[in-house]
Formats: sequence, C-alpha cells, structure tokens
Amino acid sequence: MADREVDQQLVERVQRGDKHAFDLLVTKYQRKLGRLISRFVRDPGDAQDVTQDSFIKAYRAMSGFRGESAFYTWLYRIGINTAKNHLLQNKRRPPTSTYFDAEDSESFEDASLLQEVSTPENELMSKQVVEVVQTSLQQLPEDLRSALTLREIEGLSYEEIASVMNCPVGTVRSRIFRAREAVAENLRPLLETSKDKRW
Amino acid sequence: MMKNKISALMDGELFTDEANHIIAQLKSQSSAQQDWQIYHLIGDVLRQPEVITADVSKVVHERLQFEPLVVAPQRSMTEKARNIALSAAASLMAVVAVSWMAMQATPNKSPQLALQTSPLSRASFVLEPQVNAYLAAHQELSPSSDVQGGSAFIRTTIYSATEDVAP
Repeated sequence: MADREVDQQLVERVQRGDKHAFDLLVTKYQRKLGRLISRFVRDPGDAQDVTQDSFIKAYRAMSGFRGESAFYTWLYRIGINTAKNHLLQNKRRPPTSTYFDAEDSESFEDASLLQEVSTPENELMSKQVVEVVQTSLQQLPEDLRSALTLREIEGLSYEEIASVMNCPVGTVRSRIFRAREAVAENLRPLLETSKDKRW
Repeated sequence: MMKNKISALMDGELFTDEANHIIAQLKSQSSAQQDWQIYHLIGDVLRQPEVITADVSKVVHERLQFEPLVVAPQRSMTEKARNIALSAAASLMAVVAVSWMAMQATPNKSPQLALQTSPLSRASFVLEPQVNAYLAAHQELSPSSDVQGGSAFIRTTIYSATEDVAP
C-alpha cells in the first residue's frame, strides 16, 4: 500500500465517521502545512491559527473529497486559500512576487523563516530537537543511517533502497525502523520535559 | 513489532489488510499514537531542520470534538461494477448499430434492389406470367438473397407494380 493509499484509507475512515483517523492525518501533515502557511502568514501565532483553521475546514469538507487528487494536494490548496483569506481579512496583500504551487510545497526551503515561525520561548526547544535528531543520526551505524536518510531525505521506496544498499527489502524495513527507534529513544526524554508538549 | 509496523505504515510499505489493522491499533493505543507522532517529527526535522513549526494536533483534536461527524456516501463495489457493465453495454450497442448502418449503406449490396432501380433492367424483362410464380417459388434458394424468404415478396410486389401502373 503506497503512501497515498494510506492517506486514502485514513480519508475513507474519516468519511465513515472516524474522527481519530483525521488526527493521524493532522499529525502527519501539520508541519508540512505549517511551513506552507508560514510563507503567506508571517506572524507565527497567526500562522498556527491558520494551520488549525485549515485542518478544520478540511475536516468539514471531507465528505466532498473523492480521492481524485492526492489528499495532501487537496489539503495544501485549502491551506493556501485559508491563508489568503486571512490576509484579506486583515487587509494585507498575500505575497504575489512568487507563484507558489501546492504541488511544490514539500520542496519549500527558507532558512530565514526560523525566526519568523519560532517564538523566543520555543526557539531553544526547536534547536534542541534538531540537535538531538541530527546527533542521534550521526551516532547510528552506517547501514541504519543510510537507510533512514535514503527514505526520509531522498524519499526512496524500500525497494529502491534495497537496490541501492544491495540487501533484501525486509532488511531495509528493519534498518529504517531501528534507526527511527534509536533516534526516538534520545528524543523522548526531551519531549517529555517540554512544558507545553508542543512537539 | 507494533512499532516496526507503524514505521512501515508511514512509509506506505504495508499490505492493505496489515495497514488497516495497524490504523485500528493506532486508534486505541496512546503509545502507538506517540510513536506515530515522534516518527513523523523525526522525518520532518531531517527534511527541514530550519523550519520546525509547532504541534497543532492537540488543539485541532480538541476543536474536532465540537464538529459534527462527517459521513460521506460510500461508492460501493456494486455501483462501480454496474457503471462498468453499463459502459460495456453501451459500447457494444454502438458497435452493433454502426455495423448495421454500414451494411445498409453498402451500394449494390442487393442485386434485387439494383434491378428495381434500373429502368434498363426493368425494360429488358420480358417474362411470361407463369415465370412470376416460378421466381416467387424459388426466390429463397437464390444465393444473393440477403433476407431469405422476405425478398421474394418484395420482388413479386414490385414486379406486379410494373404491371399495374395507374394511369
């Protein structure tokens, strides 16, 4: 079952009245959608509100989603429209200098947004999370690090990774899981001490 | 084992039945939900370490409690199968209709018709009255007849018409 099919499964569950399935979609896409919206809405607090509103709008419109496009494409379109409406209501012009397509949103990179998105209170926390993840990754055995990197950063499928690393698909699956779990082990204590558990 | 499958699920690498099982487990187990969340956080950090936005899932979850349930009409397999069957039937009907029309439009398809429309042929026919009965009786044996039996009566009628033209 491909990634898009997993989304479709979750969508169909939501359409049958399972709100929890929507929680899983929120967890999966909240940061991607947040990054996208922060490109339109520069105030971090407003960006968070718009992100929340976008998810609620998506939930309300879920009965009309027929799976003809990918869920994330549909969600990003709602996010962009919600952000633009927010700007219009606040009598600010949405950025028009660059055309932004929902399909390209995952490749969006803008390091200058760090200060705009993060508040002073959570900037330290943000840096710590990044540091723990990156340090943990460097401490992994080479085969685990390669497998996780090829999956998360390069976006390769298990079959493609198996071909690159010259090993069975089952081994790839195991390596990726062990790599994730090793990083998660180092991350959990930090997240549990977080005051508002915003992660 | 559960964590292993959650990891594979988020990569879209589980079979459908396994995926459905794990999604159901995610609904009931908070520890599994945390694993799902933290694995996604790791992926987000690895892909975009410069921009880590705040977790809004809890707030969205709370707001969802005030939202009515979404219940969309499901497209059943029988509906899909019916649509496919109707499409196939329509295609078949179209092919039959076009073929039939093509056959009807073919010139000189029927020698009898050619004879009817040709004044020369009609003029050259000099038949004894008993020949008419003979032709009617043997028309069905003609290899050129498209509609066995029926054309015999067509010929006879036309022939009679030439004999009984009104002034």
